[in-house]
Amino acid sequence: MADLKDLFTAVVEMQEDAAMALTRSYLEQGVPALEIFGCYQSALEEIGKRFEQQIYFIPELIMSGEMMKAGAAILKPSMAEQGAGTQGDGGNKLGKILMATVQGDIHDIGKNIATMMLELNGMQVKDIGVDVPSDTIIQEAVDSEADVIGLSGLLTLAFDPMKSVIEKLKEKGLRDKIKVIIGGGQMDEQVCKYVGADAFVTDAVEGVNIVKGWLQG
Amino acid sequence: MIVIGEKINGTRKAVGAAIRERDAERITQLARDQVQAGSAYLDVNAGTPPEREPDDMAWLVTTIQEAVDVPLCLDSANPEALKAGLALVKKPPIVNSVSGEKSRIDGVLPLALEYKTGLILLALDDTVGIPDTSKGRLDIVHRLVSMAKQGGLKEDQLFVDPLVTAISTGNENALLTFEAIKMIKQAYPEAHVTCGLSNVSFGMPLRSLINQTFMAMCIQMGLDSAIIDPNDRDLTSVIAAAEMLMGQDKYCQRFNRAYRAGMIGPQNNLTVGG
Repeated sequence: MADLKDLFTAVVEMQEDAAMALTRSYLEQGVPALEIFGCYQSALEEIGKRFEQQIYFIPELIMSGEMMKAGAAILKPSMAEQGAGTQGDGGNKLGKILMATVQGDIHDIGKNIATMMLELNGMQVKDIGVDVPSDTIIQEAVDSEADVIGLSGLLTLAFDPMKSVIEKLKEKGLRDKIKVIIGGGQMDEQVCKYVGADAFVTDAVEGVNIVKGWLQG
Repeated sequence: MIVIGEKINGTRKAVGAAIRERDAERITQLARDQVQAGSAYLDVNAGTPPEREPDDMAWLVTTIQEAVDVPLCLDSANPEALKAGLALVKKPPIVNSVSGEKSRIDGVLPLALEYKTGLILLALDDTVGIPDTSKGRLDIVHRLVSMAKQGGLKEDQLFVDPLVTAISTGNENALLTFEAIKMIKQAYPEAHVTCGLSNVSFGMPLRSLINQTFMAMCIQMGLDSAIIDPNDRDLTSVIAAAEMLMGQDKYCQRFNRAYRAGMIGPQNNLTVGG
């Protein structure tokens, strides 16, 4: 069977039409859908590397997300048939993530990109929007049995609401069960310490790497 | 172009440290540099936690006014910090900013009306965030302009910011801002249109190239104010050229004077005196 290298290259090089054509053609040739999907995931990993090396930028991340969605839509019927789970995106989920922009902040670009990247990397993500009060975040995390809470905020005003989420997790005795990662342009070691989060990130790819590490470790 | 110098902002690490350490020399240096480069206003953002922000704002205003004469643009969402600044300013300031968010309308707008300040109006609110159509943004602007006018501010005291979102996350994002600028100028010819433009290049390589090009295109649409780093010589050179090309520079004298004074163009230009 082919090693799918041309599909890998097409995805990595942002050739959407070629990638879709190759996806269909491999499927017709009888390559298992899950294997084809695996190729998308390795391609995504390479795209993430190029992003970290500043060869690729946000538009490439977004475009790869769109390609992955389009590819998954082609593969979905076969994956279901082949018993690889019904999610149409790789079967078993690595873990559950709850994403929110904290109260007082309405910036959502970073959160949306992080949500997309986490989903593409096999995580089950629930995004509950912007300007979300701490109590709602905690309630949602409990209801959805989240392993990780991702808190987003661009403004310095977001620090205290982030801190309040973590304090309330402690009060409810949930702090040991749920990891918290904070993301945004202003995040640094000092803010992370002040807020009491487990990690901070300033870009989505870094965030995916950290969360993946937690869930696999 | 009404340049609002953006550098005295405590969310920038070095400036934040200078504010906490009361390093007056550093702050006055930033003030002088920006005024020398042609700032009409200096933005003042303490960027510190709410409980200490009023003190920090007061210290910044006093410190800056000892060094330079330009009016200030008091930048905070915290009414207490704004009050502390408003009590000390020597020249009519701009308040930065009111949006359609309830907390800003309740907390910030009354201060601008009471002190009769200039006022930056942001085209966002807490129901939709930043609308993704120019019409959506204008709806918010109409609401805010009418509140400000009813409260006694004159149209030319208003600085409307149509907001800029990243081109990396949406193909139409710059077009949307261009459209909104045009619509604001048509609806309120006396009002200023301002923006912080660097968002446009978020997530992209060669950000300054994108910012400069975007700036020129916004000027064509009617932008007449901007919150920028006035010491970014490449950017201010583009502004000078774009305004000249828009017929706003009689006999090209602002451009040519700036050239002769060595203010625009490559750093190594021959300086022959202004």
